[in-house]
Amino acid sequence: MSTFEVENLSLHYLTRFGQKIPAVSDVSFTMKQGEILGIAGESGCGKSTLVNGLMGLFIPPLYPTSGDVRVSGESLMNRSPADIRQNILGRKVSMIPQGAFNALNPTRRVKDIAADMISSHEQGGNKKEINERLRSRFDLFGMDTEKILNSFPIQLTAGERQRSVIGIATLLNPQMVIADEPTSALDVTTQKSVIRMIFDLLDKKVFSTMIFITHELPLLRHVADNIAIMYAGEFVEKGTAEQIVFDPRHPYTKALMGAMLSAEEGQRQKKPTAIEGAPPSLANLPHGCRFAARCPMVRPECKQNKQEIRIVGGRQVRCDYAV
Amino acid sequence: MFKNNPTLRYISHRAAWYFLTFLVAVTINFFLPRLGTANPVDIIMGKVGTGLDTEAAKDKEESYLKEFGLVEVNDQGELLRDEAGKPVKTSNIKQFGRYLVMCFQGDLGTSFLNYPKKVTEIIKDALPWTLALQIPTIIFGWIVGNLLGALAAYRRGVFDRIFFPVALAISSIPFFAFGMLLVYVFAINLGWFPAMGGYAGDLIPSFSLTFFKSAAYFYVLPFLSIFLILAGGQAIGMRSMGIYELGTDYIKCAKWFGIKENKVLMYLFRNAMLPQLTGLALSLGSMIGGALITEMIFSYPGLGMAILTAVQGNDYPLIQGCTLLVTVSVLIANFTVDILIGFLDPRVRAGNQMGGK
Amino acid sequence: MKLLMNLLKSPSFLLGAGLFFLTILFAVVGPLVYHIDLNTTAGSYLPPDSQFRLGTDNLGRDVIAMLISGLRSSLYVGFLAGTIATVVGTFLGVYAGFKGGWIDDIINLVTNLFLVIPTFVVLILISSSLKDGRSLTLIGLIIGMTTWTWSARAVRAQSASLKSRDHIALARINGAGTFTILVKHILPYIASYVFMVFILQVASGILSEASISMIGLGPYETVSLGTILNDAMRNEALGDGVWWAFMPATAIITMIVFALYVINTSMEGVFNPRLRK
Repeated sequence: MSTFEVENLSLHYLTRFGQKIPAVSDVSFTMKQGEILGIAGESGCGKSTLVNGLMGLFIPPLYPTSGDVRVSGESLMNRSPADIRQNILGRKVSMIPQGAFNALNPTRRVKDIAADMISSHEQGGNKKEINERLRSRFDLFGMDTEKILNSFPIQLTAGERQRSVIGIATLLNPQMVIADEPTSALDVTTQKSVIRMIFDLLDKKVFSTMIFITHELPLLRHVADNIAIMYAGEFVEKGTAEQIVFDPRHPYTKALMGAMLSAEEGQRQKKPTAIEGAPPSLANLPHGCRFAARCPMVRPECKQNKQEIRIVGGRQVRCDYAV
Repeated sequence: MFKNNPTLRYISHRAAWYFLTFLVAVTINFFLPRLGTANPVDIIMGKVGTGLDTEAAKDKEESYLKEFGLVEVNDQGELLRDEAGKPVKTSNIKQFGRYLVMCFQGDLGTSFLNYPKKVTEIIKDALPWTLALQIPTIIFGWIVGNLLGALAAYRRGVFDRIFFPVALAISSIPFFAFGMLLVYVFAINLGWFPAMGGYAGDLIPSFSLTFFKSAAYFYVLPFLSIFLILAGGQAIGMRSMGIYELGTDYIKCAKWFGIKENKVLMYLFRNAMLPQLTGLALSLGSMIGGALITEMIFSYPGLGMAILTAVQGNDYPLIQGCTLLVTVSVLIANFTVDILIGFLDPRVRAGNQMGGK
Repeated sequence: MKLLMNLLKSPSFLLGAGLFFLTILFAVVGPLVYHIDLNTTAGSYLPPDSQFRLGTDNLGRDVIAMLISGLRSSLYVGFLAGTIATVVGTFLGVYAGFKGGWIDDIINLVTNLFLVIPTFVVLILISSSLKDGRSLTLIGLIIGMTTWTWSARAVRAQSASLKSRDHIALARINGAGTFTILVKHILPYIASYVFMVFILQVASGILSEASISMIGLGPYETVSLGTILNDAMRNEALGDGVWWAFMPATAIITMIVFALYVINTSMEGVFNPRLRK
């Protein structure tokens, strides 16, 4: 049984005037134990909305249009917010938010926030047991456990804070962890230690699967097993990391890779080229392919026909003319 | 000892600062009224000296000058005179020195209007009324206002849409205006409450039940006229703080972690409370000033009335005594809030000195 | 300016600005339209009738005439005090915030000292010593010079947070002097903030004048809204139910202050979008 399944998930926003804005369209994927899926895309492609959906956080004006999300077979749809909060958030599906340095309450010590995490999901447990549990968990992180636990967030370095957030997010051994740009605002050395921590925890089965969201494709090559490229609310290509980075098939993925500076072998000589134009407004989506307006390989048929997922080169591509 | 306890360090730091402020305040309190040319003895003589012949008048004037420390005396207590036979005036600096000594001995001088009553005596009668009115009003006003504001920020919706404009309207009304309004509506028109005074005219202050009941009855309108405006103002402030905090990353993250709603509310309230306390400290001065004016409107027998009658009668020692007391009260109140912040802000306890200013 | 357009769209701003404009209108146009005669006296505390729409005061003067005169005085004092307080406070605050170091420390110390000492008390002390010389201008001056501390503190925080911005560093590299930087690079950024501070200072100035005049330390021989209230208090109008002696003046003061606060809140909503939702 897959740990995490998403089946044709579509989400929309309801504006004040009753207009439905499709924020996520027809997203599907499954993940197995130990798998890391990277999701990449420009700003505004729907990544954040998708994340909310994957956690079951359907808070107005965000609503599910259709589809299903399942954690270990258990569906996240049609459940009350209280149910989601108690049983899913932090427990089965956990998120490491963007910009983790502000993610912790500045007037509360790390150990107290962690204890709050436990007490919000589980009953009982005296202070001593909880402290022991926190200590043994944080000992895995390779930092000065006593200092970290007893400090206020502001007393820690950015890297320590980031890793504390990861620690708290994974405290209850969730099946799925969604990391939203976990390394974006960090320097390279700290980035490495954070990624090492993630692999370590995955190895120790502290959590089962991870979705790693970033706009840095080259980074995903080292971190993710599979990569999905997102554009205007849709997955336009999904395959293994090798396939996506070295052999992109969808015009958008190709353009993205072309626009990246990379120190990788075989990539160094290429000159980066910008992608002209901007993504379509979600309120005003075109009939056919959503990338048609900016696609360098566009044909007249692209603007008429809605593109469906095909298998090209061993991976999923949403383009009728990709080879 | 100090090195190991950041809170103690913080408190002693603030205490030193408040002491400095106190010294400045006493100096200002002494020298400002002497800016003008008004000579208090002339004023007294104007009241007392009519009908006296020149010789008797001169004697009386000199005895007052002596009593108020405005002229130099020798060891036998006789006036020192210059070549023209006129009394030698004490320099302002010397007067200040004498004033300081008197203050620390607890003697704030003698009232002109109520001569020979001592200023301290008058203040002793008035102070309890002011304290009884202002302390509960400020404390409850702060607590209730902040609770309502936090509720409005968290719930939003219909409650907020009604509450916000109402609170904004009330908090913008000057204290005295609201007092006058309440008197006019509830005392004059509806007759539900008395318009003036602290207790029924035929009673004498005592520790009897009748007296307390009467005092409570007279307490309602003045209390409400300060309390409502204060609570309104605090609510508005807390609502803004609450809305701001709700949008912060750490609250969003706490929700993502699945932390219980009660706990998240606690995070919010405790964090928004700190700047509110700081704001309280800043506005204590004007709050107390406004409350004093309210006392005047209601002819409430507290420091407000004492100041009013003193000002109207040019009773300098009483004016000075009252203003000094008001200033000291404000300083003490500020210091108390600072200490409170020191204990409540965990970052101060950890040695970050983020509380206070 | 886009900001101005946003402001005009805000209903609360329109409400506040409208109210305030009405008051100004009353003060400025009043004397032109309405015959102000403070010397003719009819009976004392006559209730409102067809001749005296709001009755007469204790000396038999037309209440409406008194209100218009008083409003003009109060507005004058309020604006004068507000301007002085804002100018002094902004200058000191910007300078302290930008310079930092010991200059900041000293200005901070002085500001905090005077912040804590209640201004009402200082006003009483100063006014009571100037027995006969209290003119409107002098009172405005005194109020301004005792209430600048608030704007100094507010502006300093803004200035201090701005000084680490890149364009300041660039200006410094280009050799700009302190004064130039302050005027050309910091002031424009805090202009809207300073304006909001100004509005609050004017409101505070009007209130201070009313308070100080109400207890009898107001301008000598000039009518202001506060002195009207003082007359009412001294003649027990409050207790006798002579509402026209104090209600109209109180209402006008409340309306001006309320209008200014609403303007300030609406500006805050426009300039600080986070509060808007």
